[in-house]
Amino acid sequence: MRFLSYGFGFLLLILAACSSLKLKPADYAWPIENVLKVDNKGFVDEQRYSFTLKVKSLFFEEFADSTNFTGKELRIIRDKIGFFYITGKDFKNVYVFNTDESSMVLEKKILVNEKGLGAPAFNQKTPNIELLDGQSKYLLNNKGLVR
Amino acid sequence: MRTSKLFLLTILFSLFVLQNIFAQSDYEKTQNFKTRYKQLEDAIKNAASLDECSVIGENILKLKDDFTSDKVLLDKSLYPDNFTSLFEKIERALEVRKGDFTQIVQLTTEVGSLKDKVSELSQKNEGLIVQIRQLQIQTTKDAQAIASLTKLVAQLKSNIAQRDELVRGIVDSLLQEFVKTPGTLNDAEKQAIFKKVDNGNLFYNIERTISDNMQFIKVTQTTADDLSKMKEQFRDFNKTWRQIGPKLAEVYLSRKDKAAQIASIDAMFADWNDRINEEMWQQVNKLFREKKLALLTFRNGNQFVNSVTSFVDDEIKNYGIKSKTESENTFYSFSDSIYFKTVQPVWLPVLIENNLMTEANKDSVEKRIASWKEIVAPASKWNWIYVVGIIVIVVLVIAYMMKGRKKLPPPVEPKPENESNV
Repeated sequence: MRFLSYGFGFLLLILAACSSLKLKPADYAWPIENVLKVDNKGFVDEQRYSFTLKVKSLFFEEFADSTNFTGKELRIIRDKIGFFYITGKDFKNVYVFNTDESSMVLEKKILVNEKGLGAPAFNQKTPNIELLDGQSKYLLNNKGLVR
Repeated sequence: MRTSKLFLLTILFSLFVLQNIFAQSDYEKTQNFKTRYKQLEDAIKNAASLDECSVIGENILKLKDDFTSDKVLLDKSLYPDNFTSLFEKIERALEVRKGDFTQIVQLTTEVGSLKDKVSELSQKNEGLIVQIRQLQIQTTKDAQAIASLTKLVAQLKSNIAQRDELVRGIVDSLLQEFVKTPGTLNDAEKQAIFKKVDNGNLFYNIERTISDNMQFIKVTQTTADDLSKMKEQFRDFNKTWRQIGPKLAEVYLSRKDKAAQIASIDAMFADWNDRINEEMWQQVNKLFREKKLALLTFRNGNQFVNSVTSFVDDEIKNYGIKSKTESENTFYSFSDSIYFKTVQPVWLPVLIENNLMTEANKDSVEKRIASWKEIVAPASKWNWIYVVGIIVIVVLVIAYMMKGRKKLPPPVEPKPENESNV
């Protein structure tokens, strides 16, 4: 009996050691979006949170043209749980990305306006993200359009 | 009932429309805030008066009011600053700017009073110069006239020194202004400089200072000490002018008359320096002329060496042609009465200190005088015999004394009394 209880205790200890450490809750929300200009190599450079990102493929995905991107502006914001929302002028979609090793992986492509957005702007509306386009307003999350 | 429902619906619809009309991007709000903030910062930098500062103060309050409702958003988005800290910063900047203007007002008042004193002294100096000239023209100078002349010169000297001090005060206060705002000046800062320059009548006063100093050299008999002091004063003033001159030229780039005046002041400083240098050499020339020694006129160290060399060479060449006494008199007059009595101890230190001649020049002159002496007044052989004789006598006396000391019997030590008792 004593042996059994020691064995059980040991098993619990091993289980506890194997489970990964989790720090929570975490809030990744950016208070405001960032407007980033694409350079001639297809990169955007974020100063406040300090990261660079190659966005050439995004333009190809949206416009089927990976050459016409220099000087264009992308609007980017991060929600509370850590997803990045990216769009820009004339985009039909908002792209939701998750982070990965040295990359961003597409989580969701949300179709917002078939004609393309005129003057898009993101607002942080925790837990969602608000997208403004002129007088139109959309509420988004990583799964798609909320409203 | 139906009417009230309709009313409620209308209100709801209006609210919806309004909300959509005023829907604004947070990014845009932040950018808008930043733009207006930046405009206020620039306005503070460019403010030209205390009144403008007050208007800016009101605009700061308005900006604060307009964005208080977005404080939470701005606190987060203005990282590393926040809403409160940014307003503290700009309010502090405004206070500092206001302080600058208060100081400028005080300095302007000070400069105003300095200007009055400067004008008063300038007028007095003019009168003194006229009086000195009149006294100098008088053919018969009695003791009273000479005493009066001396007194007037002293008074003029003191007045010029006082006035120079005042003008320097104005220039220094202007220099502080430039030091405070290094780099390119904005329009408001330029205006402040214009005002200060005009209030202090700066350009006129600098010109006047230089011309009066030059005039003083002309009308009075200057000593080495006077000229040394003048040179020092010139150096100080010129150094200050060189600091502010180019900056003033930059400020007055668009005003041709003032730009020309600045260029003319530059030239006047150069003239002033030349005049002092010239006066120093003239005084040295005069010393030789007064003793009727016909040296070629010199205006710099090399010319002085050449002049002395040529004079000495002539004298050596003529030795034996002229009478010996005449040659000796010329040598003693040159060497003992002028060069070693006045030129070397009084003038050469001043000339060397002010880089008007070098130590090498001095050595060349003295070498030449020594070689001249070897011919005209060589050290007598008899002198050497006397010297050797004295040395021999001294050695003999010392030897005799030492010999005498050796012959003395060794001192006997008295026995202690206790020892004999035992």
